[in-house]
Amino acid sequence: MILAIAKREFVDAWRDGRFRLAALLVLALIGASALLARAQNERSRTEREAAARLERENWVNQGEKNSHSAGHYGIHVFKPAAALAPFDRGVEPFVGPVAFLEAHRMNQTAFLPARDGTAMRRFGDLSASLALQVLFPLIIVLLCHGTLAGERERGTLRQLLALGVTPRALVAGKAIGLFACTLLLLAPAAVALAWITADTPAQPGADITTRAVALAALYSGYSGLFVLLSVAASALARSARSALAALLGLWAFNCILAPRLASDLVHAALPATKLAEFDAAVNADLQMGLDGHDSRSEHMQEFTRRTLAEHGKSRIEELPFNFQGLAMLEGERFSSAVWQHHFGRLFDQFERQDRAVARAGIAAPLLAVRHASMAFAGTDLAEHRRFALAAERHRNEFVRVLNEDLMRNAPPGDHRYTAGRELWESLPEFRLAPSGFGDAWSTAREGALVLAGWLVAALALLLVVPARLRGADA
Amino acid sequence: MRAFLLELKLAFADRGAWLLVVALAAALALGVRNGAAADGAARADAKRMASAEDDWQRQLKSALLRSPLEPRQVAQRPSIAALPPAPFAALAIGQSDLLPAHEQVSVFRIEQPAEARTELENPGRLLAGRFDLAFVLVWLLPLVLLAAASDLCAGDREAGTLRMVLAQGTSPRLWLARRALARGLPALLLAGGAVFVAAVASDGERATARAWLALLVILAYGLFWLALAALVNGFARTAAAAATAAGSAWVAFVLIVPTLLNLVAESLHPSPSRAELVAESRAAAAATERRGGEVLESFFAEHPELAPPDLQADMLSFRMAVQSEVGKAMAPVKERFAAAALAQQREVERWRFASPAIAAHEALTELAGTGYWRYRHFSERTTEFKDQLLGFFEPRFHRREPVKAADLSQLPRFTFAEEPFADVVSRVTASVAGIVGLAALLTLLALARFSPRRLAA
Repeated sequence: MILAIAKREFVDAWRDGRFRLAALLVLALIGASALLARAQNERSRTEREAAARLERENWVNQGEKNSHSAGHYGIHVFKPAAALAPFDRGVEPFVGPVAFLEAHRMNQTAFLPARDGTAMRRFGDLSASLALQVLFPLIIVLLCHGTLAGERERGTLRQLLALGVTPRALVAGKAIGLFACTLLLLAPAAVALAWITADTPAQPGADITTRAVALAALYSGYSGLFVLLSVAASALARSARSALAALLGLWAFNCILAPRLASDLVHAALPATKLAEFDAAVNADLQMGLDGHDSRSEHMQEFTRRTLAEHGKSRIEELPFNFQGLAMLEGERFSSAVWQHHFGRLFDQFERQDRAVARAGIAAPLLAVRHASMAFAGTDLAEHRRFALAAERHRNEFVRVLNEDLMRNAPPGDHRYTAGRELWESLPEFRLAPSGFGDAWSTAREGALVLAGWLVAALALLLVVPARLRGADA
Repeated sequence: MRAFLLELKLAFADRGAWLLVVALAAALALGVRNGAAADGAARADAKRMASAEDDWQRQLKSALLRSPLEPRQVAQRPSIAALPPAPFAALAIGQSDLLPAHEQVSVFRIEQPAEARTELENPGRLLAGRFDLAFVLVWLLPLVLLAAASDLCAGDREAGTLRMVLAQGTSPRLWLARRALARGLPALLLAGGAVFVAAVASDGERATARAWLALLVILAYGLFWLALAALVNGFARTAAAAATAAGSAWVAFVLIVPTLLNLVAESLHPSPSRAELVAESRAAAAATERRGGEVLESFFAEHPELAPPDLQADMLSFRMAVQSEVGKAMAPVKERFAAAALAQQREVERWRFASPAIAAHEALTELAGTGYWRYRHFSERTTEFKDQLLGFFEPRFHRREPVKAADLSQLPRFTFAEEPFADVVSRVTASVAGIVGLAALLTLLALARFSPRRLAA
């Protein structure tokens, strides 16, 4: 019985001109956005790879110089383009893909792509994920709002029930049939996802296929949720018109109002450090330790006394290594801890804000879905933090090698010491190991669980609906 | 008038209409509050920066009065190029949360590919956008207008009461216009009021003239959506069909067209790669440095007036000569960035009337002073300031000429003259005219649909 009703609902929807129009619209939007976004992503990937090669050449060809001066010369590293960004660009336009690594300081990543665009970006990024997050629920609402309310208005609901169709079978059959239609509408997105996945150069450990499957499951769940809610509203409302009004209200709140409202409320409740406060806190902490350069500072004098005492010498020229190199190493160890502490705290604050916005998905499921979608696509804040931290680890390593070279090879007191290509080439190139599905899941979990909660609640609502359906029709 | 008041009374007989108005009022209040808070923060930052700059000038003056200073000592501290707070920032946060409002300019690093710092902002918040007044006006106001006016007569047609209403001898066009205005006027009045409250919360005097223009934008934009609702009602047979069509139009104009235009503008005029820019400028610097003395020779051959007295250039002279060479090498690349950004903006402006939401958004951010053109003007002014600073310091570096107290008046300080208001007015007027044109077109179509002949048929 349920399957027969589902089949009937599916066929009815398929014959509906509005359904075909919606399918065409979805196909055109997802197809065009996937093609253009794929080309953009490919361009970013090749540009960043070319820039990384050129920067490596700059580094190894910088000529003979003092190894600590090479630390000041520094090196730029570039964030690899995320494979699934053409599906969901997430925060990629709003984070810098370039990090400048130099001695003494950890820099913020720079050159946000959105700064080179127009204000149109603030309307949103046309991508498959935007179509699925915002347009899809609307199409589902328009398609499903009259499924039971329409039957009641036409008087066919009473006939169906009189024929012995149980309300539960009717509701379940309609929900299954409409969900099958929704899956058909999701097909272009699934094809786009499969194409992007298949077209990605192999990256061991990136779990691209698993991520794509998780995205497919996430959006199927989100679409299913709107089918369940629409069927429930259609059963409970007095007319198709009032069901439509209620569902459109829910859609507008979920897709238009909630993202900005939740973001602003969360940022007011959990404010992050301001730039001026950040700078002041970092400077205050840096003053409390060795900076490696200032020989008159109290910390340097104390460090000099301690080092001389440890080696039983009275002058730094008598030490068996270059003292300046050691001071640089020590200063770098201290300053790096300060920078990592403050940037870590800032990232913690941002992640706490993002988690709170995802939890606000309890009121608007889009917030939870968006959070999980970016995490599965590898275009979220956590992924950017991985890049920033990997760049910082690389900076520590390259500055350590340079300072150790100065300490070991520069004759004490000789400021004319220089190193060359051999040392520059010995420093490894920057590589960001792809994050696996486990990493993505640890961030996405929050959003996925909220969506699961919504699905359970909607299913529970659908269990209550049949009784109301009989009552309302009686 | 009495008929209009009756329509107004009928419109508000429904509790849903009151709910809509209350929800809009709350959203407008929140938008004004958020915009005013962002404006306040920007003003506090600007004040802090101006006071730091004044302190530095005072210290410098007292040091120079004691004795002349080496030019490198004076140039050691970067100069600040700061964009003054926007004249009507409470109206639209616009690009102000994304683009830097100040830049530290150091004559030693003018050609270094670095990015000016901005406030630390969660990228998720930049992605979501702010709940400011422009958001309420461009995104939510049309939803409220459509919700209020989507059923102008489709419900009457569905219930069969339309013929009865029209049989009373009223002109159907006048009746429809009166009904649409009665449904939309409260929302438009609230929106207009919010704009003037925002003007008071911003820089009152400068903002008031802009508030009147913003009011024109809102009225034109509101008229467009009311005309659309009327047109939809000319075709829809049921209230649900009218709501569906109006909602779909909103999605098309506010969501799809602007995002599609962004994608098309970025694809047609892609910005060159910043990653390649940084790598290329360092490669240019390295190549110039390798040419060593040859660079200095050619530099002094081009600028004999800058040659040091003993013709023995020091490290600083060399560094400045290298910087000048790198600047020349990278100028075409930087030009490509500016050209791509301008081409994208021109594309947006060319197609802005494809959706009144784009035209309204552009006009409101323009009036707020947080749109493309003011930031571009700031960027151009900063580039000029860099040249002025170089013009002051470079000859002194090369000639090793100390800076004296008398020179202080010539030391460039960044000043920002706002674009002539007439330019802003002309761009906003073009937007308003376009929206009014679109609204007029829809109105004509709707009126044609409601001709007595057609209705009789």
